[in-house]
Amino acid sequence: MKCNQIKEKFSDFLTGELDKNVREKIQEHITVCSSCREELENLSAIWTKLEVLPEEQPSDKVRTRFYAVLDQYKQNQDRKTVQPRKERFSIGWFRHWIPARPAFQFSIAALLLVIGLAGGYFLRSGWQRKGEIAQLRQEVHQLSRITAVSLLQQESLSERMGGIRWSSQLSQENRVSLADFLRTLDLDISSISPSPNNSLAQSELFQSFSEQASPVVEIALNLVKRF
Amino acid sequence: MDKPNDNELMEQVSAGKVEKLAILFEKHHVRLYNFFLRLTGRRNISEDLVQEVFIRILKYRSTYQARSKFLVWLYSIARNTHVDHLRKRKNEVPLDKQWYEMESTEPSPAEKAEKSQEVIWLGHALGKLPLKKREALILSRYQGFKYKEIAELFGCQIGTVKVLVHRAIKELGKVYFELSGGTAL
Repeated sequence: MKCNQIKEKFSDFLTGELDKNVREKIQEHITVCSSCREELENLSAIWTKLEVLPEEQPSDKVRTRFYAVLDQYKQNQDRKTVQPRKERFSIGWFRHWIPARPAFQFSIAALLLVIGLAGGYFLRSGWQRKGEIAQLRQEVHQLSRITAVSLLQQESLSERMGGIRWSSQLSQENRVSLADFLRTLDLDISSISPSPNNSLAQSELFQSFSEQASPVVEIALNLVKRF
Repeated sequence: MDKPNDNELMEQVSAGKVEKLAILFEKHHVRLYNFFLRLTGRRNISEDLVQEVFIRILKYRSTYQARSKFLVWLYSIARNTHVDHLRKRKNEVPLDKQWYEMESTEPSPAEKAEKSQEVIWLGHALGKLPLKKREALILSRYQGFKYKEIAELFGCQIGTVKVLVHRAIKELGKVYFELSGGTAL
């Protein structure tokens, strides 16, 4: 064996990974080759010197921390094994509709978002339109009520009668108030107010009183009768 | 019934029996700690790295393949953990300037002083070696790795590992000789 071939085996020589024949050849060679002998002696010396670096024991902290991590991991693992059943309850059959690939999941999510935004936009504009119609309707009702009140306050009897008819056609909430009707009645009573000397008017009034079905008119005529 | 070996235990951990990792921890954490200690020269960092290795084992347990040897897999994680640590702390003081002082075992005061000095010189010399040579030397000298296993761990030929170890010892000897003022060896 040449020097180069011998030197290639030095690392095996140090670790003892050589068979007996090769080891003997190396020993034979270094007896006659001072260069190889010197190199092997130096390598062996430092190899042996490495023994001075003792093996140390780590602190108890290492063990404590390891078991804490392991316990935590086991707890998380147990929690995860329970979770799938819960998940099945929460999304159930719908899970089969969810695509496996994240790209598809993202596409579907984006599509649903767009649909949601568009739906929200149209629904909102519909609501706005509904609001405008309701406002218009209210204004019409208010106008009808003002017309009815205005007719009730007219001097002409036929116009006031028209006002009563108009009022009866209005919806419950827009109907003319009782105060307006009583004011109309005041006007009517004053217009037909009988003089004490007018016995005909008086008798007609009493007759009318007996024929009235409306309690309001009945009360009003009763008051007239007293005065 | 025979006790399960490391590979079988790791297969069980991989399959979900994570409590089995405690057996592997008890068996390997001291040697792993010393691997890091010789690599870094710092006790606290070595303890943190041991911790990190076992956290990574839990994290990547499903990637363990039954045909690979557990020890090789363990030290491949250890090497990556150490490299990540170096990347994070590359601005720190170089290793050869922060070597720890080890306690010697019951020698006389003179021997103690001499041995402590040897430990410091060796620590500094180790710290001056390039990382791959340092790893190869520590694995073969202290961790009991065969060249074949180191080659598997490094992903290279056995011959390359032999050359690495050979050169590592030569360089270490040279630095040690310089540090000791040419008196030691």
